[in-house]
Amino acid sequence: MDDQTAIRTEGLTKYYGKVHALEDLSLEISVGEVFGFLGPNGAGKTTMIRTMMDEIRPTKGRASILGMDTHEKSVEIRRHIGYLPGDLALYPNLTGKDILTYFANLRRGVDWSYVEALRARLDVDLSQKVGNLSSGNRQKVGLIQAFMSKPKALIMDEPSSGLDPLIQRELQKMMREAADEGCTVFLSSHTLSEVQRVADRVGIIRHGHLITVEAVSTLRSKAMRRVELELNATADPRVFEAVPGVSDVDVENHRVSMSFGGDMGALLKAASEHYAVIDISSQEADLEEIFLTYYRDEKVTA
Amino acid sequence: MLGSVFAKTIRDRWLGWVIAVASLAALLLIAMAAYRTVDLGIYTSMPRVYRALLNIPGKADVGSLAISVLITTYGAMTMAAMALSMGGASIAGEERAGTIGLLLANPKSRIHVLLSKAASLVVLTALGVLALWGSILLASNVLSVSIEGMHPGALMLHLLASSLFYGSLAMAIGASTGNRGAAAGTAVSLMVVSFVAVGLLPLFDWGKNVVKALPWYYFNGSNPLINGVQWWHVAALLGASVVFVGAAVVGVQRRDLKGQSVGVTLFDRLRANPTMEKYIGKIIGSARVSSIWVKTASDYQGLLIIVAYYAILVQVILGPLYSAMPKAVLQAIAKLPQGLVALLGGGDISTAQGFFQIETFGLMGPILVMVVTVAIGASGLAGEESRRTMGLLLANPVSRARVLAEKSWTMIVYAFLVGLVTFAGVALGSVLGGLGISAWNIAATCVLQSLIGLAFGAFALALSAGTGNRKVAIYGAIGAGIAFHLLNAFGMRNDTLAAWAKLSPFYYYLGSDPLSNGMNWGHAAVLAAISVVLIGAAFPLFQRRDIHQRG
Repeated sequence: MDDQTAIRTEGLTKYYGKVHALEDLSLEISVGEVFGFLGPNGAGKTTMIRTMMDEIRPTKGRASILGMDTHEKSVEIRRHIGYLPGDLALYPNLTGKDILTYFANLRRGVDWSYVEALRARLDVDLSQKVGNLSSGNRQKVGLIQAFMSKPKALIMDEPSSGLDPLIQRELQKMMREAADEGCTVFLSSHTLSEVQRVADRVGIIRHGHLITVEAVSTLRSKAMRRVELELNATADPRVFEAVPGVSDVDVENHRVSMSFGGDMGALLKAASEHYAVIDISSQEADLEEIFLTYYRDEKVTA
Repeated sequence: MLGSVFAKTIRDRWLGWVIAVASLAALLLIAMAAYRTVDLGIYTSMPRVYRALLNIPGKADVGSLAISVLITTYGAMTMAAMALSMGGASIAGEERAGTIGLLLANPKSRIHVLLSKAASLVVLTALGVLALWGSILLASNVLSVSIEGMHPGALMLHLLASSLFYGSLAMAIGASTGNRGAAAGTAVSLMVVSFVAVGLLPLFDWGKNVVKALPWYYFNGSNPLINGVQWWHVAALLGASVVFVGAAVVGVQRRDLKGQSVGVTLFDRLRANPTMEKYIGKIIGSARVSSIWVKTASDYQGLLIIVAYYAILVQVILGPLYSAMPKAVLQAIAKLPQGLVALLGGGDISTAQGFFQIETFGLMGPILVMVVTVAIGASGLAGEESRRTMGLLLANPVSRARVLAEKSWTMIVYAFLVGLVTFAGVALGSVLGGLGISAWNIAATCVLQSLIGLAFGAFALALSAGTGNRKVAIYGAIGAGIAFHLLNAFGMRNDTLAAWAKLSPFYYYLGSDPLSNGMNWGHAAVLAAISVVLIGAAFPLFQRRDIHQRG
């Protein structure tokens, strides 16, 4: 175990009876890294996080955070981490302030001026009972709770759920700032764009299997996009099908659209050799398309 | 069963009605069986006040006595309570749960929803009353108790009208305000006040006409069991119900619907005031979240207050009541069959100690402690899991063992607080009634009472720690309580079972007659040991398993 690894899992496996929620999941996340954990609903993201938090125990394998075993040293670990559960539930009859005070007491105190700064940044009223807050505002209370102890690692399960775009952006800034100060951030999400904006690396999970771990830049170049070109003449599909990474070419007069996962330069070069390109639009592929790409890769390499 | 609002409401509610009616049927059976073996003279010679409250007819036979005592009091209140809980929740319940918006997103009007709920209320209440009627006929048949000359059907018709009255009243308030608590609270208060008033006011000349303004009078004022249906009474109750449903329709149409929310208490309002904030904040704010055990204590403070209020009030009344009872009555009661006395906790009612043992400590005392301890034991852990707050709590640097230890501590403190208020009540009652029971002996009994309640709370805690399932913990502890109570009761009565009784914790509670003989430290140690072992067992159970995320 070197000092640079903040979170490590080795063959983490969790079965609920016949349901295989996690299958042999091994990961290594460095100190100061923002790691995005991406997967569709029910992929096993929450199971993974709850196992790391020692809420549930793995069927096989082990995990460590900050060099400590997540089961043996769970209390010591929690002294140094902030956690935001998915589908957050708070004590509805307490105010935001009460809840933060409660957890601050359990942590033997926090810096309240920092709490106030977080509150102002996220713009939430802490004097309201949380049962009367909107789900977005409840989420903000949960976020303050996770950040308030200036943790060495932040583990957050779909942290931006319920937040408006402005606050989402603020949260992304907060995560980046924390990482810049050496905090390791582990966040799960089901939206690629969010993870891309903030994470250094991304792990993709589906049906309990870790499909791949990629740097965001690699993922971006590899990721499937729907590219649409408007040309000065009727397109010949063969020109495009010859470019590596192109599939599903669809021609409609001067317009050609295709699925593309490769080097954009190569595509543009091929197009401009034959036509004048009048307009170009590129749309991010949805998550399912990316999974399919990686599934194809998996099958090819297997 | 999800074809309509009507069907879904039936589906959500039928089980509660089945349990209520089945319990009443079982109680009726037990009561009839018990009364068959009792010299009924003692009831008719009871003081008039007592008789009026318990609805005991002047000329009693087994059937009418059992039906009167059970059906026209507990039974009628239970049925009305079921109806008013349904009525109050019909719109306000969906608002509180946050589901009303989704429900009304379908092409159904508010009135449609309300009337569907009203229809399900009528149908379930009618079915419940029919089943209760059946159980009266069945019980009297099985036990060959004569009900000749009585009109159980007439009583049931009155009961139906009365239950619908309270149900629709709660519906009108709930639909008009969106406040389920206010709806149920108002209807229950009216029910209880009018029940007590209808029992007592006719004892005074001026009260005979006053009671005619109270709804309970139209249920049982004409004594339908003996005299048959009093049609205009039934019509008055049903007419009022129709008016209430109409008011509900108007009320729900006119107002804004609420989203999911929590209630605002008096403290919250005070806290919103800047000058009060500092002080009130100390009481309900930072102080109550200073640690896990204090927060747990604060969560169950309301329950404790209700239990404490009940414990003190009843005991203070019982002392003077005992000294006011004629000696002849006490001697007669002393002749109650041993089996019945044993079920009530045993004791010789011709002495003040025995009276308190039956009235207070036998059943009510352990129940009062258990209400609190089982609630904390079951909900303290499993409740945080079903409300999904456990994960967040355990994200702090506190071990599971500490969470468990602090919740147990609250349970222990509260068990002894209930014992303390019972002590205060009984001691005061004893002084007021001039009964001269030794304060030490009362204290000893209250300690044992706390310990027996704690033992079952500890059992609930162990179940909660082992399963994370609140219902398993609650029903497990209640089931064990009833089983061990019966084991002890039968053991007291029957020599061959006497040895078995020692297996029941209840034996170590009152077996040494602590109210007369003072503390039995050995017995106290046994009870304490049971709690220690069960709480001790909870730790490894809780340590080992996965935390549940949903109830």
